[in-house]
Amino acid sequence: MNGTSFNTRQFFQKYGIFLVFIVLCVVMSFLSNVFFTSMNIRNILMQVSINGILSIGMTFVIITGGIDLSVGSVTAMAGMVGASFVAGRHPGPLVAGIGMGLVAGILAGALSGFIIAKFRLPAFVVTLGMLSSARGYCQLYNNGMPIPNLSDEFLFIGQGHIYGIPMPVVIYLSLVVISWFCLRYSRYSRYVYAVGGNEKSARTSGVNTARIIFSVYLISGLCAGIASLILTARTTSALTQAGNGYELDAIAAVVVGGTSLSGGVGSVGGTFIGVLIIGVLNNGLDLLGVSSYWHQIIKGIVIVLAVLLDSFTSKRSNS
Amino acid sequence: MKKTLLLVTLCCLCLGFTFAVSAGEKKASYNIALAVYGTKGEYVQMWINAMAEHPAVKSGLAKTTVFDGEYSHIRQDDQFNTIIAQKFDAAIFIPIDSTAGGATVKKSVEAGVPVVGSNGPVTSDLIVSYIGSDDVEAGYLVGKAVIKAMGGKGNVVILEGPVGQTGPMQRGEGMLKALAENPTVKVLESKTANWSRNEAMDLMQNWLVSHHDQINGIFGQNDEMALGALAAVKSAGIQPVIPSAGIDGISDAVRAVSRKEMLISVRQDAFTQSQGALDIALRHLIGPEYKPMSECWKLYPEMPWGDGTAKLYSVPWTIVSPDNADKFLEEER
Repeated sequence: MNGTSFNTRQFFQKYGIFLVFIVLCVVMSFLSNVFFTSMNIRNILMQVSINGILSIGMTFVIITGGIDLSVGSVTAMAGMVGASFVAGRHPGPLVAGIGMGLVAGILAGALSGFIIAKFRLPAFVVTLGMLSSARGYCQLYNNGMPIPNLSDEFLFIGQGHIYGIPMPVVIYLSLVVISWFCLRYSRYSRYVYAVGGNEKSARTSGVNTARIIFSVYLISGLCAGIASLILTARTTSALTQAGNGYELDAIAAVVVGGTSLSGGVGSVGGTFIGVLIIGVLNNGLDLLGVSSYWHQIIKGIVIVLAVLLDSFTSKRSNS
Repeated sequence: MKKTLLLVTLCCLCLGFTFAVSAGEKKASYNIALAVYGTKGEYVQMWINAMAEHPAVKSGLAKTTVFDGEYSHIRQDDQFNTIIAQKFDAAIFIPIDSTAGGATVKKSVEAGVPVVGSNGPVTSDLIVSYIGSDDVEAGYLVGKAVIKAMGGKGNVVILEGPVGQTGPMQRGEGMLKALAENPTVKVLESKTANWSRNEAMDLMQNWLVSHHDQINGIFGQNDEMALGALAAVKSAGIQPVIPSAGIDGISDAVRAVSRKEMLISVRQDAFTQSQGALDIALRHLIGPEYKPMSECWKLYPEMPWGDGTAKLYSVPWTIVSPDNADKFLEEER
């Protein structure tokens, strides 16, 4: 095997999904002459920000070999809790709304993480329970009614701009950068990969695996809390049915981004591309006026094709 | 052994009750099942809350139990087995699927539990009565109002509810009826946003890019989606905002109408659909001497109580416009 061909394969393995994304963008810009406008690109980034933030937390969880099905419900719940502090004619301070929303998300994540790590229960089951309970709590919190009339400073989180860039995009991109550094360079991240790669050997080499597992669900809960602030501020009300099905979009983005559902492999960069692929697809199919029926079919096909291509290239380079 | 004894006693008690009822004796209290398709939406919550305020519920004449159908016909059908087994005196039914719900009603009525329909129609002639509003008309009212605000020409986009459900289909039918009367108005796009405000916002943003300034009107099959589209229009800095209208009369929409951002909302009356249904059920159980206790019968001259046995009570829609929006907002408080 000579050097150059090895590099090509490695390139494909590492950047295959990125190429899929480029191809998708090129195809879209041929099909729609408004796709490549700054307005549309800003829209895409805005539209992916919520799924993107949830996917960051989901990436940490899936790298440890776990899954978090509760993120959609927890997002809605944190939204209700946070909004209740900044609603009405005499809203509380902004910091209370943000703080309590984040705390609600973190607590939900910590509870799931504690049960999964302490009692060694399957994450699928525990977070499925949280999915249901958090949604119920959401309705209980304000007797099933939405919480409208939020303060303007709170709405800024979802509708404001900084130097012309929408706040959700600012928040999302900063989180991508922070988590990318964290997952690439910190010691913590090596433990996360180790737990997902082989939990037993991670434990025998001295990693506190329970604490690592606990922490990733906490991070996922925190991400749901952050996403809830944006979602609530965008829709101007905390809605009890918000975030329905968001967990599946997040899992799809993470998997398309090359993170393995069996754990040990994955990156925030890959997830970022995965999020963009799904976002560009949704945006493009809307621009082209594709019907709802075809929209779902095409989305499903592209998700599977992207992962198929990815597994194809990585298998080839492994052999 | 103790358990068996307990069971036998319970069975005897139940039998006793059955005989008591079949003998025509009046009961002090009636157990009414509220089988609703799902409790997540604001509308059903208002419906349930209104029921709790019914004078008969407050006085203890009716005891209500909510069965949350979780947006699944199968779940609702299973719950009717429970309702039958627990020998409820009557059920008030808001079906998720009007066609499939027909078989559920048949089963219930044959087992001796009469069913009153509310809010969403069910395909069955076995129900005691149906009290609800005509979704086709609501869609028509939205279409008419938006087209009028557009000066009778231009292009519209339609935000549809979930694909395949009865409500969105009928509301869509009404919108198409309004469009057919104004052939110069073209539909640029029509797509589902699944009743969701956030989804509608994304969709509208994308349409504003692909159609620039060609969109002159927005038909929302519910208020949530109309509000989402409106938010996209506002954040794109389009002034004056594109005329939009929705259905249901949820509080955020009423506020948007009051601010003159949204054109109208076609308000569905949860209070009347809910409390009216209970009066109809009690009238059926008690007989002609039962007089309706809810205030809702005083609201609409076009929907009289009669003797409480009409097969259909069609609750009129109310158009929420800037003129009356504040009145509804005050009512809420």
